[in-house]
Amino acid sequence: MTRPQGWLALILALAIGSLLVLRTLPLSLGLDLRGGSQLTLLIKPAGRITQVDSKQLEAVKEVLERRVNGLGVSEATVTTSGNDRIVVQLPGVQDPRRAAGVLGTTAMLEFRAQKAGTDQEMTGLLRLKRLIEAKLNQLQGKAKAADGKPAPDVSGPLAETLKSLGLEAPQGANEQQQLDLILQDTNRRIAGLFDPPLLTGSHLIDAGRVQQPNSPNWEVTLRFDREGGDQFASLTKSIAGSNRLLGIMLDGRSISEASVGPQFATAGITGGAASITGGFSADQARDLEVQLRGGALPLPVEIIENRSVGPTLGAENVRNSLLAALVGIGLVGVFMVVLYRLPGFVAVLALGLYALFNLAMYALIPVTLTLPGIAGFILSVGMAVDANILIFERTKEELLDGNTLFRSVDVGFTRAFSSIFDGHVTTLISCAALGWLGSGLVRGFAITLAVGVLLSLFTALTCTRTLLRLLLSYPALRRPGLFLAAPNQP
Amino acid sequence: MTSSTGALLREPSFRITRYRRICLGITGILVFLSLLGLFLSWLSPLHSPLKPGLDFTGGTSIQVERLCDDKCADLNVDSIRKALAEPAVVQLLDEGRAISLRTAALSPAKSGEVVEALNKIAGPLKQEGTQINTIGPLLGEQLLRSSLLALVVSFVGVALYISARYARLYAAMALVCLAHDVLLTSGLFAWLGLLAGVEVDSLFAVALLTLAGYSVNDTVVVFDRIREQQQVLPNLSVEDQVDRAVAGTLTRSVYTTICTELPILALLLFGGESLHWFAVALFVGVAIGGWSSIGVIPPLLPLFGGKLPQKITSSVAVNP
Repeated sequence: MTRPQGWLALILALAIGSLLVLRTLPLSLGLDLRGGSQLTLLIKPAGRITQVDSKQLEAVKEVLERRVNGLGVSEATVTTSGNDRIVVQLPGVQDPRRAAGVLGTTAMLEFRAQKAGTDQEMTGLLRLKRLIEAKLNQLQGKAKAADGKPAPDVSGPLAETLKSLGLEAPQGANEQQQLDLILQDTNRRIAGLFDPPLLTGSHLIDAGRVQQPNSPNWEVTLRFDREGGDQFASLTKSIAGSNRLLGIMLDGRSISEASVGPQFATAGITGGAASITGGFSADQARDLEVQLRGGALPLPVEIIENRSVGPTLGAENVRNSLLAALVGIGLVGVFMVVLYRLPGFVAVLALGLYALFNLAMYALIPVTLTLPGIAGFILSVGMAVDANILIFERTKEELLDGNTLFRSVDVGFTRAFSSIFDGHVTTLISCAALGWLGSGLVRGFAITLAVGVLLSLFTALTCTRTLLRLLLSYPALRRPGLFLAAPNQP
Repeated sequence: MTSSTGALLREPSFRITRYRRICLGITGILVFLSLLGLFLSWLSPLHSPLKPGLDFTGGTSIQVERLCDDKCADLNVDSIRKALAEPAVVQLLDEGRAISLRTAALSPAKSGEVVEALNKIAGPLKQEGTQINTIGPLLGEQLLRSSLLALVVSFVGVALYISARYARLYAAMALVCLAHDVLLTSGLFAWLGLLAGVEVDSLFAVALLTLAGYSVNDTVVVFDRIREQQQVLPNLSVEDQVDRAVAGTLTRSVYTTICTELPILALLLFGGESLHWFAVALFVGVAIGGWSSIGVIPPLLPLFGGKLPQKITSSVAVNP
């Protein structure tokens, strides 16, 4: 029999190493445990692109990363998932509305000149737009003219304008939703009155925001690169002093229409800077700034999944699953000691090592712990002990056959190995299928279960064997009574 | 006696093949009940063998906690439903201290509005106790497809492994065992869906896949024992081989099943609501897996082929 000192030293080193790892590297908790929001965005092929490839996936991810940074959520992560999906995790964010608005839109900025000879139509649509905006403000209760008087009711003129343009109010659940729909439609119609874009947001090098003097509204400032500045100058020059307007479009909707004064007729607006006054609130201006700074998304995205968990719920989940894990390990420990006496006790020690190594592996890989992940760990505790049961049953049989203690223990380990090995492999095959085909939560579970199964091979075989041999080197512990619970055996 | 194979030579204390009729009878009834449950569920308005949850159908679920300890104002489900812009299925939980909603898939903006609307009728709400889940319909379909695919892949993987390590008959038996465990667990949830409205979610799919890996685990031990016996006692009848193998591994099978069930039981009792049905599926599945490795596969084995396939491979040994 080889001396177990070498293995013992290794196990001790691993245990100390694990403790050090756990002290230095924190375990990363999933959003279901710490609270926060997770958004899954699906990239939708558009235009000539029918299939999203890895380059486009990376490009979308980069833009989203910049936008997420602009949102100022600490420890936010952006990861790709599958071929056409991006998962954005926002720890601590309870209400993902703002993030969804900022991340979920393309933010394609375009500068266009109004088509010649569309003055009349434009005037009508712009009037309608102002009326709808006034009405919306009124509905939201924040309508206040500059002098503090309530805004006049615009329902009458609104209905008239709608009628004169041949538009009909769409069916919606309430007035506000109806108005929103009309406004969107109007903005699209306005966009249709402009020429194709001569300048796009790809020439932006920076964006900012300032509050307009004497107004609650904000404007978004833009800075172009040299080429963009030149294009902006020639665009403004072409329409300066005419009735044609400069339209600023975001994702095909007109957000601002401005006239360019005759004084710019000679050189256009030079200097490579511009600003958008779209009647933005402070929040809207900030979100647009974040979007423009991050750049436009190369392809449109859709939010297909949103999971938000409040922090107290997350804490409750942690408490519950921790309690379940401890009780589970405790119950298994009691069961093993009652059944197998001294070897049972050794198995419990090995189980403790198993839990320790597991946690250290989670911190090292790193595995983000989620609720199903913890469930996978708890389940693997039972499986880890299974190996020891197989071994000890075999040892017991050999002892009953009249073999010596040392021989019985050794035979127990060797004979039980092949079935332990096969059992672990079949479980690993399932884990591989889950980890390969599953996503998100499912994969988290598969990874923790797989780590557990692999580690249990080491702890249940090597650790138990080494510890048991160590204990057997004390003559006082070599009494068969410590190995056999009862002499009558099946 | 100092031979390490002595244990294999002992007469089996218990012969499972003598109880074949009873074992297979019980199994037959359970399989029938499961199929019946799945079939009835499919005939019912659900039109699906199991009641699909949000993860599969797509939609939004919102859960809020109210900020009131003992004196929560009474709430009426109908009044909540009326106050919301979106059509929703409303449930009061925990004696009205929490509200759970189910709607079609909503954008984050819309679900935020719903929470605000709830705050108006049932508020104040606990700021930090809100939970929103939105699954796009596309995602649900994909989840179903990938779960089924994962199940098939692990079926094939396990079958290939067992036929490489043992023999094709054992691989077939392992698959029967797998199918049996998955079917019975699904059958139970079909009945639960019909009678108690229990829905299956992605965690249920995870539970089934885990069981697929675990159930064979148990059965392999019996196969391994048979293989070992064949080297010592090659001329025994199939029944004898099976009886000895089952008797020799019975204690271990029962103990292992108990040891796996104990942590799951802890999960069931203390794991909280989100893991409740997951734990139930695992608990039942592990019990079924324990049963199939004793009462289903061993009595079936002698029915196929007069002699058990023999594959003389030395067992893998470890030597620390």
